Amino acid sequence: MSVSQDTRATGAQKIGGFIASYSVVITFLAICLFFAMASPTFLTGANLYNVLVNNVVMLAIVALGLTIVISSGGIDLSVGVSVDMASMVFVMLLAAGYGGVFGVTVGLLAAVAVGVLNAILITRLKISPFLATLGVLFIGQSTQQLATSGGQPIYLITGYAGAQFNAIARTSLLGVPMPVLVLVACIVVVYLLLHRSVFGRAVQAMGAQPGVAWYSGLAVPRQLSLVYIGCALLCGITGILLSATVKSYVPLSGNAFLLDAIGATFIGTTLSAERRPTVIGTLLGVLLLAVVKNGLLLIGWNFYWQQVGIGVLVFLVLAVSFGLRRARQ
Amino acid sequence: MTVQPAAAEIAISMTAISKRFGPVQALHDADLQVARGTIHGLVGQNGAGKSTIIKVLAGILKPDSGTITVNGETVGPLTPSSVERLGVHFIHQDRLLVPTATVGEAVFLRHELGFGPFVSRRSMNRHAAELLKRYFNLELPAGILVQDLTTAQQKIVQITRALAQKASVLVLDEPTAALVKREVDSLFAVLRRLRDDGIAVIFISHYMQEIEQLCDRVTVMRNGTDVGTVDPAETPIDEIIAMMIARDVGEMFPKRSVEIGAPMLEVSHLGMAGSFEDISFSVRRGEIVGLTGLLGSGAKEIVQCLFGLERAERGSIMVEGKTLSLSSPVHAVRGGIAMLPEDRRAHGVAIDLSVRENISLASLGRYSGRGFVKRGLENQAIDGLIRELSIKTPGRDTLVRQLSGGNQQKVAIAKWLSCQSRVYILDEPTVAVDVGAKVEIYNLLNRLAGEGAAILLLSSDLLELVGVCDRVLVVYRGRLSGEFSGADLDGDRLLAASSGARGPKAEASS
Repeated sequence: MSVSQDTRATGAQKIGGFIASYSVVITFLAICLFFAMASPTFLTGANLYNVLVNNVVMLAIVALGLTIVISSGGIDLSVGVSVDMASMVFVMLLAAGYGGVFGVTVGLLAAVAVGVLNAILITRLKISPFLATLGVLFIGQSTQQLATSGGQPIYLITGYAGAQFNAIARTSLLGVPMPVLVLVACIVVVYLLLHRSVFGRAVQAMGAQPGVAWYSGLAVPRQLSLVYIGCALLCGITGILLSATVKSYVPLSGNAFLLDAIGATFIGTTLSAERRPTVIGTLLGVLLLAVVKNGLLLIGWNFYWQQVGIGVLVFLVLAVSFGLRRARQ
Repeated sequence: MTVQPAAAEIAISMTAISKRFGPVQALHDADLQVARGTIHGLVGQNGAGKSTIIKVLAGILKPDSGTITVNGETVGPLTPSSVERLGVHFIHQDRLLVPTATVGEAVFLRHELGFGPFVSRRSMNRHAAELLKRYFNLELPAGILVQDLTTAQQKIVQITRALAQKASVLVLDEPTAALVKREVDSLFAVLRRLRDDGIAVIFISHYMQEIEQLCDRVTVMRNGTDVGTVDPAETPIDEIIAMMIARDVGEMFPKRSVEIGAPMLEVSHLGMAGSFEDISFSVRRGEIVGLTGLLGSGAKEIVQCLFGLERAERGSIMVEGKTLSLSSPVHAVRGGIAMLPEDRRAHGVAIDLSVRENISLASLGRYSGRGFVKRGLENQAIDGLIRELSIKTPGRDTLVRQLSGGNQQKVAIAKWLSCQSRVYILDEPTVAVDVGAKVEIYNLLNRLAGEGAAILLLSSDLLELVGVCDRVLVVYRGRLSGEFSGADLDGDRLLAASSGARGPKAEASS
């Protein structure tokens, strides 16, 4: 990755290069160390389990979707809508007495529909991804409010639906919680797609230089459609997990993922010498954000200050990585 | 042969200008003397150094050596803004006006009228209207935006801007490329009037007829230097063309002997309104066919249709006897057509991807199973191609950005070798490539032809066309105006046919 082209690099330069490439990893470890010392509860099993299941899993799946989109040179501002659509349809179907498998399937299809809409706007109408998905974001938000008489949450804590939710969020296989298993499956699939498959090569080429992808005879519109549909599907999975975890559908709750997922993906690009989004980088970005949020909470910072902490953190990672890389060149 | 103006009349004097880009000597001891009150033509083939010397004058490029005087004063290092202060103005080929500005804003750009830090759009529009009326008798709707003007009107607005700044020298780079005949005539009338007012006009054009019609003097450039300045009224066009073309082709173009086989690419009656009509030709197995034409002649558009980038309205394209429906490059590539585009960085190679990712991009199907790339297979093929084309790269995973222009071009070619394409379309493959790499690319073309590929080479480098091709087709104003091969294939004839000068073929078709 960052094999030094200059074989005569000095020791200091080598160390600088190492820090630049692994600034995310180093920052992550440093922050973990800091919180472990500042708060006795940070390193406990219960806390780490909580961070993983409640903060990491859902954000990571959305961020994986965005990683594909950003790799293709685009952006999806409507990830929250995909999350919410899956969640809304799933919960409404359970409330109407439909089966869990049916609810999950149709919920995911609702998310896919959002992706299809994005794909049509971007590949057929040639609207830029930013504007297309921004439009879908607005439409999706209104749709939810119209469908829930102005944004009324739907709670299904007990009874039939509660059991269905528990079957998703509270079961485990060989001691591993179901949401974590879902995340692992998503990681494996997205990793293979993005870094090992023909589709992934096309995505990287479109992101690096769309003209070259087109002039190489790649079916750019079709591949781009798959990118946005794939992202929406991943968001839909998060939507299902979200409903099952909180046993309800709260309109517009998906938006909370958008900025964190974008942040995680871009923090992750510092891992790659070419500044490309990678699955591993994105996951590290997600871990970093989740740990900082949790740690700040544990040492008694309130919610509003957490945002400041995360902002500073993003600058820190980027500054260290960019600064050292420039110094090296 | 050279006509020298008297010292007192000289507006621009450039002496012994040299400029080197890496291994390429773009300008070598080039001189240009332009007198006041004349229209001075500047001609030469692509790469002869015309645009480099103009960029030096514009302060865009810094010469390695040489002196420049403007109106008798020796000037130091030029910058685009200091040149304008000296009264030298440039009308570049691509329109360089802000499309959403009003005419007044465009005319007074960087010299805005108004009060203190506030600009007065109204007074600028009024003054601009007065200038346009006074100089060109042109009245435009009040407050019209630049983007709503015709190309000719935009040129006039640019000239007006120069006049508003009291220009003493006006440089026009290919100003007629996108104009229709009537507009060309009115532009020429404007230029003649400016000349009569004592302004020195430098006029760069590929169209020999225009040079003959308009210019009082013409400087011919070749291989980075001026080879003479003549009066076009006294010197026949043929002689000027002969000056533009170097006679010694030398060892640049390797000889080859290839068996030419059955037709591989057949194009019949291809047409697209406004670009070209009734284009029919074929390229056979093992044959290298050249295609040339000036900017706007339609040659470029023909090639784009052959690769599915544009859609022809009429006619058909066949590869190995199979008619292709080319609605996108996807179909072209599937049909066995490869394209080496002119804009290498936008369309040829992705500089932020590795050599490996670039080479296998069009042929991933060959290196994959069930949708996944088989890295072993891919690596083996890529390493083979790197060796075969002697691509100078530290390794297959090096980013293409780190390679030289010539090696980037080889990566772009390797992409199609990997794809085992049968028809190769090359669009100006040796532009911005140094001489050594050029020869390697020519060798490669010969080898491809030898292996039975059909090659269509779009080029404006006449030497290259003569040296490499078996046959050259010339496009003039949207139609095939000539076909040259064997003893008929020489630079003079190509240039005459593509610039509409009285050539045997051009006369027959017009």
